[in-house]
Amino acid sequence: MLLLGIDTATRRVGVVLASEHGLLARLELGGPPSTPPRHAEQLAPAIRHVTECAGVRLAHLSAVAVGTGPGMFTGLRVGVTTAKALAHALRVPVIPVPSLDLLAYPLRHSRALVVPAIDARRNECYFAFYRPVPGGVQRESDYLLGSIDDLVGELDARGEEKLLCGDAALAAAESLKEVDRVEIAGPAHAAPSLSALAELALARYEREEFTSPGEVLPIYLRKSDAEIAWERRSA
Amino acid sequence: MTRVLGIETSCDETAAAVVDDGRVTRSSVVASQADLHARYGGVVPEIASRAHVELIDDVVEQALVEAGTDLRSVDAVAAVHGPGLAGALIVGVSAAKALALATDRPYVAVNHHEAHLYAALLEDPALEPPLLTLVVSGGHTLLVAMHDHGRFSVVGRTVDDAAGEAFDKVARFLGLGYPGGPAIDRLAARGDPEAVPFTRPMLDDGDDFSFSGLKTAVVRHVRANPDADVADVAASFQAAVVDVLVTKLVRVAEREGFGTVVIGGGVAANSALRARVLDEAARRGLRAVVPALGLCTDNAAMVAAAAWWRLRRDGPTPLDAGVDPSLPLA
Ligand SMILES: [Zn+2]
Repeated sequence: MLLLGIDTATRRVGVVLASEHGLLARLELGGPPSTPPRHAEQLAPAIRHVTECAGVRLAHLSAVAVGTGPGMFTGLRVGVTTAKALAHALRVPVIPVPSLDLLAYPLRHSRALVVPAIDARRNECYFAFYRPVPGGVQRESDYLLGSIDDLVGELDARGEEKLLCGDAALAAAESLKEVDRVEIAGPAHAAPSLSALAELALARYEREEFTSPGEVLPIYLRKSDAEIAWERRSA
Repeated sequence: MTRVLGIETSCDETAAAVVDDGRVTRSSVVASQADLHARYGGVVPEIASRAHVELIDDVVEQALVEAGTDLRSVDAVAAVHGPGLAGALIVGVSAAKALALATDRPYVAVNHHEAHLYAALLEDPALEPPLLTLVVSGGHTLLVAMHDHGRFSVVGRTVDDAAGEAFDKVARFLGLGYPGGPAIDRLAARGDPEAVPFTRPMLDDGDDFSFSGLKTAVVRHVRANPDADVADVAASFQAAVVDVLVTKLVRVAEREGFGTVVIGGGVAANSALRARVLDEAARRGLRAVVPALGLCTDNAAMVAAAAWWRLRRDGPTPLDAGVDPSLPLA
């Protein structure tokens, strides 16, 4: 069994190769925060590099897993399109995994409520609440979109301990530290976890939980400005 | 024989095609998103990008099935990397790179304008450069000299609106809806093209074009003559655009010694333009190539054709090449 995983929900381009025996290779590419993200440039070479380094051929893949966001629209489109085209060409299934799940999963041993937050630009972030349970995390909310103030409000409303992670949590660390019973996981938890992607996707592959390729799409949460304006006008 | 799978997602059509040796079209599939954008009166980039992600897989599959082939028999995978909408271009480029990677075939990035020039070679496989091509659409108005494969020079371009943009704006003003080109073409068919003597912008002023003043003239005329017959206005506006386009095309061809003139782009689907090009060329002993409608509007067959020539000349495109929304032709 050979699995390729891709996550491009944040500025980071992540590619992982795994088998049932564990990770074979993992590559994470970023860039200076002042430069535009380069998903379209970096992803395909990263996939080629990872397969060459691991000494495997794409033709031997059993499945392609992809982080579906929510996150950067362009990054998600590059990741999802690439995953589906690879799977199409190789005639293997695509396994979509929401990127917020990938941030929360590595913190499953925490006793606190886990709250991953991904940058959504315009001073907003995508976030969700996860309860650690034996063997993983259980999502306790929808995937949400809101300002840092909205996030703070949601955190305040929950009396228990909270552990935040993700690029948006790190960026807003100053304002989040003011909130009672909140801790922020370090930079190692800034981007969706590639080992989590491999582990969760492998489990789903073994259970043969496949999604039809047509249903594998980015989770946007936010409509286009034109649609929002149109709905406001016609309301 | 070299078989190329081409992909085009630069604007609001999701297209894929299979072309052999840059000349023989095996299949050409175009999924238009026009319906999704109609209510906004123009293409919304974010909506276009999302639709491309939803459509691209099926469009590619359909192109392969209609060509009676599969990915294993494809020798190269090409996509347009510019000019166009960044978020839209990225979808086609990502798909093409992934298919190239999976099949271990070369990836070829194609310039959208260059692809339009190659549509004529699909229409007439015996055609060879030098050619003078007028590419007119909602996004571009270019008069391009194709000296040889891969050797182009831009002779003239619009200094303001693209020709298709003028059609869209006038159609919106006349209440004809979007897209404006076909609407004006239909209405103009029962109007008098000589009813309103709109000026021909920059007709005798160089090889560039200008269309924004013409749109203003239409607005001014209708406001001053509220009872004007809309069909007459549409026909007169269309006649002015066509007159400028064809006059300059033919004039440059004669001056620069091109024996063949070609039209391409969405506006090349306009019936008055098509008729006039054939007519003027015949009168001056020039050869005119007016490709079928499906080759004029954005499609992927022209992309696969251009890619074949590009691959022979420059070899594959590196996988770390991105997109360029404002990629120039030359
Ligand atoms: Zn075009």
